Amino acid sequence: MKGIVLGQYYPADSVIHRLDPRIKIILALIYIVCSFLCRNIFSFVLLFMSSIVLILVSRIPLKIVFRSLRAIIFIMLFTAVLNVFWTKGEPENLLVSWKFINIYTEGIYNAVFIVVRIVSMIIGSSIFMTYTTTPIQLTDGIERLLSPLKKLHVPVHEFAMMMTIALRFIPIIVEETQKIMSAQKARGADFSSGSLMKRAKALVPVLIPLFISAFRRAGDLATAMTCRCYRGGKGRTKMTVLKCRARDYVMLAVSAAFTAAVVVINIYSFGYTM
Amino acid sequence: MTPVRIKMSKITVENVSYVYSAGTPFEVKALDDINLSIEENRITGIIGHTGSGKSTLVQMFNGLVRPDEGRILLDGADIWENPKEIGKVRFKVGLVMQYPEYQLFEETVKADIAFGPKNMGLDEDEIKNRVSECAGFVGLGQNELDKSPFDLSGGQKRRAAIAGVMAMKPEVLVLDEPAAGLDPAGRASIFDGIVKYKNSTGAAVIIVSHSMEDMAKYCDYLIVMADAKVFMTGDRDTVFSNSSQLENIGLDIPQITKVMTLLCEAGVNVSKSIYTVEDAERALLKLFGGVR
Amino acid sequence: MAYIKISDLNFSYRDDDGNFIPVLKDISLEIEKGEYIAVLGHNGSGKSTLAKLLNMVIDDYEGMTGKIEINGKDITSPEITEDEIYELRKDVGMVFQNPDNQLVATIVEEDVAFGPENLGLPREEIRRRVDDALATVGMSEYARHEPHRLSGGQKQRVAIAGIIAMMPECMIFDESTAMLDPIGRKEVIETIEKLNRERHITVLSITHYMDEAVRAGRVIVLNDGNILLDGTPSYIFSKPDLLREAGLDLPQCADLMLRLKKRGIPLEGDFNTPEQCVRSLLNALHK
Repeated sequence: MKGIVLGQYYPADSVIHRLDPRIKIILALIYIVCSFLCRNIFSFVLLFMSSIVLILVSRIPLKIVFRSLRAIIFIMLFTAVLNVFWTKGEPENLLVSWKFINIYTEGIYNAVFIVVRIVSMIIGSSIFMTYTTTPIQLTDGIERLLSPLKKLHVPVHEFAMMMTIALRFIPIIVEETQKIMSAQKARGADFSSGSLMKRAKALVPVLIPLFISAFRRAGDLATAMTCRCYRGGKGRTKMTVLKCRARDYVMLAVSAAFTAAVVVINIYSFGYTM
Repeated sequence: MTPVRIKMSKITVENVSYVYSAGTPFEVKALDDINLSIEENRITGIIGHTGSGKSTLVQMFNGLVRPDEGRILLDGADIWENPKEIGKVRFKVGLVMQYPEYQLFEETVKADIAFGPKNMGLDEDEIKNRVSECAGFVGLGQNELDKSPFDLSGGQKRRAAIAGVMAMKPEVLVLDEPAAGLDPAGRASIFDGIVKYKNSTGAAVIIVSHSMEDMAKYCDYLIVMADAKVFMTGDRDTVFSNSSQLENIGLDIPQITKVMTLLCEAGVNVSKSIYTVEDAERALLKLFGGVR
Repeated sequence: MAYIKISDLNFSYRDDDGNFIPVLKDISLEIEKGEYIAVLGHNGSGKSTLAKLLNMVIDDYEGMTGKIEINGKDITSPEITEDEIYELRKDVGMVFQNPDNQLVATIVEEDVAFGPENLGLPREEIRRRVDDALATVGMSEYARHEPHRLSGGQKQRVAIAGIIAMMPECMIFDESTAMLDPIGRKEVIETIEKLNRERHITVLSITHYMDEAVRAGRVIVLNDGNILLDGTPSYIFSKPDLLREAGLDLPQCADLMLRLKKRGIPLEGDFNTPEQCVRSLLNALHK
């Protein structure tokens, strides 16, 4: 169980890995917006190409990217099929007509566009955030991006601290769950046979000790934090300070240019528009 | 001529190997071609560093971990012969894991100890008998049995958890660090309970512990593991007379054994395989008597 | 003036029915700066409560009477301010039993920085202290590791580094070795000794391992909330009957030597380690 990896962070040395997490969050948002701005074949081709460039630049193996796409393959197929059957196009573009089913060229276009949009969105946001940024960097980035909200009494620091502690304890709790399950199995507990009801009941001997232990840990941790002079975000400083470097500004500029390109292509182009 | 009866070992481990997280960067060889046997009516101690493979090994005895290679034989039969029947093996080979008090969950101690026997499908009377008998082994009285397990002291919780495994009346009782973190009185009451169980049932008992002094005191036979392999086996006299080898692989030896070994090295004529204070006292008194 | 001065301390906690259960009874104690003290006692002897009181991290003080002064300041006084309590926690650091339950961050150095960050120190100062603390406990090369991949002893050393980075004058170890294997215990004990020796940090190590007590300069034995014995390890081990009463065992070495002495063999010196025993035995043999 020591092999547990949180999130999908893939350690590699790339420009994207080294970007400021705040910038990466912003870039991911811009990328998602762009994928929604795309309207015609040219902008979608541009979007798809950019995804491929991102994969190459981030040095994340294709295998790993495909694995995460496989998880949503059904959603993609489902939306594609819906678009094929439900889009109503111009009468001259009718491809197939059988009983109540009408398929138009527009429907095919839409289906392809939607799939490209979803795929690019997933690739873009996961490359900027989960693959190249550790959960702790992400939390840190979110805390700092949201810190202006502190003035409005939004508990940004507390939220970030909760995230950090959750990230710290997830592997511990996972390991503990397995240990308790083994211990109860050794006393003859059976988690894998019988009706759904029976299986749910069989989990009681696991859940109760797990909850008790989680509360005990929480209590211990609270005491330890108090002893280390923790009193919330007030007066707290930080060892690591995030600093935007040249590469961060370059990436922002690139993404602004990309957005502009998408908009321009949408306006001055021909062919089918979504 | 009377036929010679060959006595079969309770558990035989045959050419067992196991690898953790195979195919990942975290791959670790936990056990490497292990062969050993465990006998009835005897306390066998397993000694070794964290990561020497001993915790993996004990989880194999009751089928929680399945060997990648090799076989585990219980009474001569491979426990993985029919994987669906592995549950039955768990009733015959009871395993007490580290810090077992964290598995207590029932409303009363009594009910918690009864959890295992209930899973075996025993009838009410039999369960009741077993609960009180096993509570007796570990020194828990009626007063404690009616309490919530969460109201017990740390040492009592540990003993309740151990009684919960004993109540299945396993023919092999395996305990991983049963006394870890307890004070001397707590340790003694745990080991007393284990010895009582062995004497009353004749079971094969296996104890894993880092405490050499406890091992020397309670175990009849020792298995020393190092780097996923069996390093040494033998009765305790044999193992502790090789204390320098134990120290070479970084294990502690009982203080008394250390004293006797140092005396030997200083040219004093005493036995090296002494590991209890009583034996050392006797040997040294003789020595002083001889001098005077 | 003693660094820590405890006078007539009584403490009772309230059980679920509201009854007061006494845990510490009439404890009076003085601890000098730079001392290395082991506090021994069986489970439930009150030693953990004593530790927590020294950091004022107990929920309910209703059952407390008496006084605890640290560095001349009465921390039990009702007038003490919150800021003074924080000052106290900075000066008296605590390391607990379970290493998993005291590490906050998912990266070793970020965890060590947690305390100094809470103190509101400037960034460069935190960096300096974190690097220094990790070097002191020998964990520098693990600075960017995740705690859950470390061994128990390593995690506990990270926890110690987290306290050192706050530059305390005194450190309390509340059974910090109880959950470790022998190698982990050794790592932690050596770290504790180093802190006492090189940084002159006052150490209060709560334990029930006799072999740890042997290494301290002074041993205090608690039994049912009372101080039963207080003295050097050799003195403590010369009272085997009292120790057994407190649910503790003599180390094998001391046990053997005391038995032989009782039989009239003239043994001299300390019997804390096998080497000392052998020296004393050889002396007696060659007489």
